[in-house]
Amino acid sequence: MKGFTFHKPRSLKEALAMLKEADGKAKIMAGGTDLLGAMKDGIMQPERLINLQEIPDLANIRPDNDRLHLGALVSLHEITVHPSIQKRFGILAQAAQEVGSPQLRNMGTLGGNLCQRPRCWYYRGDFVCLKRGGDQCFAVTGQNKYHAVIEGGPCFIVHPSDTAPALLAMDASVRIAGPDGEKIAALEKFFMTPRDNVTRENILEPDQILTEIMVPLPREGSRGIYLKARERRCWDFALASVALLLNIDDGICQEIRLVLGGIAPIPFRASKAEEVLKGKPIEIELIDQACRMALSGARPLASNAYKLELTQALIKQALLTLSNK
Amino acid sequence: MLPNASGKVVVTVGRRVKTRVEEEGKIEEINVELPHEDLPPWEEKNLVWVGKGIPRVDGFEKCTGKAKYTYDIHLPGMLYGKILRCPHPHARLIRLDTSKAQRLSGVKAILSQENAPPIPWYNDSFLFDRTLRCVGEEVAAVAAVDEYIARDALDMIEAEYESLPFVVDPEEALRPGAPPVRPGGNLLDGKPIIYSRGEIEQGFDEADLIIEENFSTQVQAHACMETHGSVVNWEGDHLTIWESTQGVSDVREGMAKALGIPISKVRVIKDFMGGGFGSKTREGKYTVIAALLAKMTGRPVKLMLDRKEEFYATGHRPSSLQYVKAGVKKDGSLTAIYLRSIGACGAYETPLFPSKFSMIDALARPYRELYHCPNVKTEVYPVYNNIPVHTAQRAPGHVEGTFALEQVMDQAAHQLGMDPIALRMKNYALKDQVEDFPYTRKALDQCYQKGAEKIQWEKRNKKPGEKKALICEGIGMAGQIWGGGGGPPAYAIIKINQDGTANLLTGTQDIGTGSKTVFVQIASEELGISPKDITITLGDTETTPYAPRSSGSRTVPSVGPAVRSAAADAKRQLLDLAGSILDSKAEDLAIREGQIYLKNNPTRKIPLKEITQKMGNNMIMGVGSRGPNPPQAAINVFGAQFAHVAVNTATGEVRVLKVVSIHDAGRVINSMTLNNQIEGGIVQGMGYGLMEEVIWDKGTGIMLTPNLHAYKLPTMLDIPEVVPGVAEGSDPANNIGAKGIGEPPKIPTAPAIANAIYNAIGVRLKELPITPDKVLRALKI
Ligand SMILES: Cc1cc2nc3c(=O)[nH]c(=O)nc-3n(C[C@H](O)[C@H](O)[C@H](O)COP(=O)(O)OP(=O)(O)OC[C@H]3O[C@@H](n4cnc5c(N)ncnc54)[C@H](O)[C@@H]3O)c2cc1C
Ligand code: SF4
Repeated sequence: MKGFTFHKPRSLKEALAMLKEADGKAKIMAGGTDLLGAMKDGIMQPERLINLQEIPDLANIRPDNDRLHLGALVSLHEITVHPSIQKRFGILAQAAQEVGSPQLRNMGTLGGNLCQRPRCWYYRGDFVCLKRGGDQCFAVTGQNKYHAVIEGGPCFIVHPSDTAPALLAMDASVRIAGPDGEKIAALEKFFMTPRDNVTRENILEPDQILTEIMVPLPREGSRGIYLKARERRCWDFALASVALLLNIDDGICQEIRLVLGGIAPIPFRASKAEEVLKGKPIEIELIDQACRMALSGARPLASNAYKLELTQALIKQALLTLSNK
Repeated sequence: MLPNASGKVVVTVGRRVKTRVEEEGKIEEINVELPHEDLPPWEEKNLVWVGKGIPRVDGFEKCTGKAKYTYDIHLPGMLYGKILRCPHPHARLIRLDTSKAQRLSGVKAILSQENAPPIPWYNDSFLFDRTLRCVGEEVAAVAAVDEYIARDALDMIEAEYESLPFVVDPEEALRPGAPPVRPGGNLLDGKPIIYSRGEIEQGFDEADLIIEENFSTQVQAHACMETHGSVVNWEGDHLTIWESTQGVSDVREGMAKALGIPISKVRVIKDFMGGGFGSKTREGKYTVIAALLAKMTGRPVKLMLDRKEEFYATGHRPSSLQYVKAGVKKDGSLTAIYLRSIGACGAYETPLFPSKFSMIDALARPYRELYHCPNVKTEVYPVYNNIPVHTAQRAPGHVEGTFALEQVMDQAAHQLGMDPIALRMKNYALKDQVEDFPYTRKALDQCYQKGAEKIQWEKRNKKPGEKKALICEGIGMAGQIWGGGGGPPAYAIIKINQDGTANLLTGTQDIGTGSKTVFVQIASEELGISPKDITITLGDTETTPYAPRSSGSRTVPSVGPAVRSAAADAKRQLLDLAGSILDSKAEDLAIREGQIYLKNNPTRKIPLKEITQKMGNNMIMGVGSRGPNPPQAAINVFGAQFAHVAVNTATGEVRVLKVVSIHDAGRVINSMTLNNQIEGGIVQGMGYGLMEEVIWDKGTGIMLTPNLHAYKLPTMLDIPEVVPGVAEGSDPANNIGAKGIGEPPKIPTAPAIANAIYNAIGVRLKELPITPDKVLRALKI
């Protein structure tokens, strides 16, 4: 790891000024759980670290009438134990609970979880691949059992976040502060595929800060679930995960948002599967059809085709559970 | 010592005999000096301390952070060493420019092929070599005032390499025209290692059923919590080394040889250590490098590897491919077993067993010995490839071989419609068929029986995979054979103090297994002094007599008898003294729980302390040594493990719910430390079975898993309920009746899990580790 200076701004304004002054040579640090590893692995070598932890308002949890406001610095642990999140925004609490280990959930923040860098072992290893400014993706012909089966190319990372699929299923949006003021973006528009830009995973510019995540209150009667498959029971990223928000009224699927993690470079909204079920009675045959449609268009690499069945199995399990089948 | 007629030097001290000892499957005949007397076995009913589960004597120090590990050693003026490693899988170093690094303030010395002595290392290579055969090989080293400067200095060294063709995949390495890893071909010694008995083809002709299967096992890392490393200090020409090691004496010997100095000039100390599992059996390149850097600078040097180096540069369990063919008759009796296997050595021969013996061949042992079978042939191809060299890891070979063999047995039982245990009993081997020796003891039948009861064997699915459900449960079992008999030489000394306490000194080490506690218990038992009144010193070559390295599950069976013999010697002297003071014959006296009493009238007793007080500054010192193993006999540890698993048939996730583990390790000295070994072995065996794997990128020879996140060790949530147990009784192999338990529990864990998965879903998983992708793929076929 290279030497760096450490800064502790007391306000968002101060932080933004520091970022601007650093002119791309600084990195924001929240919990540091992802960032420090990336620095030790030599993926990032910022000259300055700007620690957000001392900015008071960034760690608030504030429910209002129709939405939940979560400061970017809210820890994952807080999300898992907060009673109204557990009650009204259960998918998020479940997803946060599935992250890493207790230590990581204590230190890791929600903002950091959305902005974390991918886990591709070439990227994190000693390879100068496309994402690191090189001219090839080593995963294409290399060891790719953990890589993307859909939306991949030219880079095949999977988005590592557990909370992102859950938040997307709940149609969350994010508040972004920058030198020219604030803006709000739908989370759906926040993530970027490698085709848009292979060196990053979201729309944040180096001088911008993610300050808040806003989650609309799901409509009455909606239920949610987050399921994650992995190789060991904790401290492991998803082989595949499913976040599902479902509203069934009178046996008819009124609303469905189905988002998949661990299989694409972005949290992947399975719209084709949603279409199969929306406005229809939830029947086993339709569930099976939705599972088949969820990943249509997928193009697995040599060693990751199992993710197709795995994801379908999770979707089915999620749908069956929420529809009490 | 005089030269004999042939000019050879013969040692003529003491009474010497030849004896047979085994380490990690390697069997040797050695000369041994007999101890003063052969002690009779302990009388079971009189045992006070042996067999008890007493807490570790050093538990308090460990729990409170007082225990000092090599990592904790800090000497005044100490420098920090770091190693520059080769980024290429096969290359020639053509230019090395250290001048910039040399000028960095705080850098005190730089060592490389240019200024280091040509110390021979693996095969025909050197400590620093211009030809580099894997990523991670040592190119240069720096000593600096702190670690950060040392790291920065490494970045400033300019190294230029000429890339050479390389091969990572072991099967590819064997193909004609494959890039040569080293001169002389990629097959070690140019030929397979073949063992054969009977007539293999005839055996297959006699069979009613033939099973043929291919298996593959992965590379497993040791992943020691404390990384490898040393702190070294020269005082004049005397070198002291603090080393995280399983063998202080081996490090002393190896370092003396590497540096060309007498053994008496080297002192090696290891007090506490954080794991070795076979990878810390001798000095590493880092030890020699630290010593050379310290010599150059005149200052102590600390050189501890970082986590990535730990994965790259400290060895691993080699991968294997196994083709197995077995023939059985309708009644279950085996007629033939054939194994053809490829094992990946890495770029060199393992330094632990440099000559004839290859750790790769150890995988064939279970095929040759676990079952009675007249016709057996094993054919093992050790192959060089451009990855780091492998080394011993907890039951080398046996873990890989048993994974395949025990699944073949399970398959045979299934196809014959037999109970897998009945099939094993049908082929129960009553002697070592390779050496043609009887076993000193074999209670494997007891292990099968006890284990079956505890897992409720009858509850397994009668037809594998018969139940169709999202979550399918199953029960499976596997057995094991291991060496673990130990042997000479090993020595111990016991000093009796005026205040009635004792100091026990022996040159073995406690590598985290609890051997300190076990030896104190043995001494307590023999001496009649309570464990709290005995202190133990080990892990220091200067202050203790020789004992072997802690590998091959042999620490307790090798050193324990020497400790007992030292205690017996001290006791004899104590009783002599007591006899003269009490005016009675020593033979009529005995000691128990700190009291000396008359054998025929135990109410007449006197505290031991009152006797020792009278010694003044006279000392009682007991000296003991390990006697030979019984002639013409094989000493082995056996065991059986049973796993209960749940398989999610939709996601392929496997959960191990319970493992029952019963071993014949002879007498249990401490039931708590024994259970620790069983639990640890099962955790490591389960990691091997389900998740751990070192993965290389074949296109570059770079490791993709050199950290504790990508390399998946089991977490607390993955660990099943473990039910440990033993076959009752002791083994006549040595004077304490104990055999080793360090390695055995790891051996049958993965096959028991695989057989349980088969019982659950009716599908056989033949590639390790059994991850969800493989389960899903297998279910699909
Ligand atoms: C061993 C291990 C296992 C893990 N397992 C999981 C897992 O199972 N599931 C999962 O989802 N994650 C996992 N993580 C990833 C991750 O570290 C955590 O989930 C955590 O939430 C990251 O938050 P942080 O606050 O520590 O982020 P940091 O490390 O502080 O930051 C991460 C990145 O985001 C940027 N960033 C942080 N906050 C902001 C902000 N407000 N605005 C703009 N940019 C910002 C930083 O500059 C940095 O690039 C794991 C990490 C490790 C090391
Ligand atoms: S998948 Fe992306 S990050 Fe991984 S090697 Fe390819 S380009 Fe690099």
